[in-house]
Amino acid sequence: MVKLTIPATELVRPGHAACPGCGPALAMRLLLKGLGPRTVLSMPACCWTVIATPYPTTALGVALLDNPIESTGASISGIRAAVDALAIPDVTVVGFAGDGGTADIGLQALSGMLERRTNAIYVMYDNEAYMNTGIQRSGATPEGAWTTTTPVGGAGRGKPERKKDIMGIVLAHRPVYAATLNPSFPEDFVRKAAKAREIAGPRFLHVFAPCPPGWRYSSEETIEIGRLATDTGVFPLYEVADGHLRLTRRLSSLKPIGEYLGRQGRYAHLTPEERARLQAEVRSGWERILREDASGSPGGPFSSRSSHAATKGDTVEAA
Amino acid sequence: MLEIRFHGRGGQGAVVASELLAQAAFLDGKRPQSFPFFGVERRGAPVTAYCRIDDREVRLRTSITRPDIVVVLEPGLLRAGSAMEGLKPDGILLVNSREEPAALPAPAGVRRASVDATTIALTHGLGTPMMPIVNTAILGALAAASGAVSLGALEQAIDRFVPAHPAENRAAARDGAAAVRVAPPLTAGHSRGASSAVARAPPLELPDAPMAVASSATIATAAWRTLRPEIDQRRCTRCNFCWKFCPDVAIELNAEGFPVVHLEHCKGCGICAAECPPGAIAMVAEG
Ligand SMILES: Cc1ncc(C[n+]2csc(CCOP(=O)(O)OP(=O)(O)O)c2C)c(N)n1
Ligand code: SF4
Ligand code: SF4
Repeated sequence: MVKLTIPATELVRPGHAACPGCGPALAMRLLLKGLGPRTVLSMPACCWTVIATPYPTTALGVALLDNPIESTGASISGIRAAVDALAIPDVTVVGFAGDGGTADIGLQALSGMLERRTNAIYVMYDNEAYMNTGIQRSGATPEGAWTTTTPVGGAGRGKPERKKDIMGIVLAHRPVYAATLNPSFPEDFVRKAAKAREIAGPRFLHVFAPCPPGWRYSSEETIEIGRLATDTGVFPLYEVADGHLRLTRRLSSLKPIGEYLGRQGRYAHLTPEERARLQAEVRSGWERILREDASGSPGGPFSSRSSHAATKGDTVEAA
Repeated sequence: MLEIRFHGRGGQGAVVASELLAQAAFLDGKRPQSFPFFGVERRGAPVTAYCRIDDREVRLRTSITRPDIVVVLEPGLLRAGSAMEGLKPDGILLVNSREEPAALPAPAGVRRASVDATTIALTHGLGTPMMPIVNTAILGALAAASGAVSLGALEQAIDRFVPAHPAENRAAARDGAAAVRVAPPLTAGHSRGASSAVARAPPLELPDAPMAVASSATIATAAWRTLRPEIDQRRCTRCNFCWKFCPDVAIELNAEGFPVVHLEHCKGCGICAAECPPGAIAMVAEG
C-alpha cells in the first residue's frame, strides 16, 4: 500500500451538487479528514447547503443542522450547550459558513460566540462573494474584483473598496486558535483542522476557496490558483495559537501578483496601475505578517494575546 | 394545449430557449407560459425548463410530466435517461446532434428530429467550443419540425428579447430551421430507449421531518461532464495527487495504490489531469 499524507477516510460523499472544480467542495472534504466523524456541523444558507443536500440525500457523513444565515455563531453556542448538558463525550461542534454569512450577515453572531468563549470551531470558507445567489459582492470581495454588483464598464472598475480583514476582527476577540487554510496545501490544511480539534475554546479557521464560475476561470485551475494566492502573498498561510503567530509556509520571495490576477476573469479589466496598487498592498500586508511572525504576536491595533498566553508572559508586542 | 420540455445544461441557455419560445408564441397570438425547474443551476448541471402554448390562458401551474415535445440541447443528456420520461407516444423528440435522426433512441410512435445546433451556433460566433450557446439554432429547428411557432415570430422574439448578437441569433434560428432532419417513427417492437409508457419511479417514503434519507452517492453526476479523465497506468507514479485534489470524491485508490476514477460521479473538472505531475491523465471528449 502506498503511503498517504492525509487520512484516507472520506466524510464527504460523491454525488454532491457543487460545480465542477469547486474549491469549497474540496475544502470541506479536507476539513472533515482533519476533524473526523464525531463532528456536528451547523451551516447557514450558502453554496454548501445546496452542495450537501440534493433532496432527499446528504453528501455529509456527519450530522448537519441547517440554520438561518445570520445565526451560525449563535447556533454553535447553543449546540455546544446542548452537547454539554447531555454530557455527550468527544463531540467537535463546528460552524461552517461562507464569507457573506460570516464577515457580513453573521458577524455579530460570530463576535458573540467568540466573546462567550464558546468551545467550538468556526470555519469561514472564503469564495470572496455571495456565490449561491449569483456572484454578488461581499465584504470579503477583494478590491478591483468584478462581481455582478460591482460591474466593469462605464465608471465601473470592479469593487472599489478593500477586502474586509476578517482575521483582524477575529483576533481582536483573542481566540485560543486561529489559522488560515488553503486546499491547495492539503497536508497543512488537514494538520490545522486536526490541531484545532484538539484545543478547547473558541477557534476560527479562515479557508481560501476558489470558485470557477464566480472568479471566471476554467475549472481545472482551482488548485494552481490556490497555490498562487499563497505564493504571491495574497493569502499567507499562518496560525495564531495562544497569541503567537507562526507562518506555516515561509517564502524566500513573493511571486508577482500578476501571476495570480492574470488567471482570473474577474480581474481581467485591471490596468497596470491598478495592478501595481494591489501589488503594493499585498507586499505591505506580507511584511506586516513577517514582522508578527518574527515577534511571535500579531501587532497593530489589535493584539491577539489570549489571557492564557498573557499569563505565560512570553508574548511581545510587534512594533 | 401543446406542452414542451427543454433539457440542457447550466450555461447552455435552456431556460432562455423556453422563454423565447413563449414570447414567439405570444407574437403568434397564442397564450403561452414558461418557467424553469427550480433546482441546482450549477454550470454543467442538467437543467429543465417548461413551455406551454394554448389558445386560451393556461391556468395549470405544474411541471410538465407528459410532454408533446422534448427538446434536448445536448445529446449527452439522453444518456441520463430521464429526458424522454413521459413523452407522449405521438410526440416529437428534437435533439441537438450531428447524428441522423434515425439513429436516435426513442419509443415507438415518436417522431425523431435532429439538428447540428452546435456547429450552427459556432458558425455564428455564439458561445465557445466548450460551451456553445445553441438555443436559438435549436428553436429554429423546433419551429420547422413542429410548427409550434412560426419562424417569423421567433425571429421577432429574438430581436426583442436577446440583448447580445440578435442578428447572429436570428441567422442561427434560420439555419436551424433549414437544417433540421426528421425521421419516421419506429414501429412497436423496434423502439429503443425508454418506453413512453414508463411508469414514473415510485414515490420515496419520506419522514415528516426534513431529514435526509439517503446518501448523495446514490445520485449520478456523470451527465454534468463533457470531458472524461483517462489515466495511463504505465505513466502513473502513484503519487495520489489526483486523489488528494478531486472535489467530487470520484477517485479511489485501489489495493496497489493506483487511482481509479468512478465515472458515475466524476464531473470532468480536469483538476486531476492538471495536477498529475507525470502527466498521466488526459481529458478526452465524451462521445
Ligand atoms: C437573511 C437572508 N438573506 C438572504 C438570503 C439569501 N441567500 C442564500 S445563500 C446566500 C449567499 C451566501 O453567500 P456566502 O455566505 O458568501 O456563501 P456562498 O454562497 O458564497 O458559498 C444568500 C444571500 C438568506 N438565505 N437569508
Ligand atoms: S458557485 Fe462557486 S462556491 Fe458555489 S458551488 Fe459553484 S464553484 Fe462552488
Ligand atoms: S475530472 Fe475532476 S471530478 Fe473527475 S476525477 Fe478528475 S478531479 Fe475528480
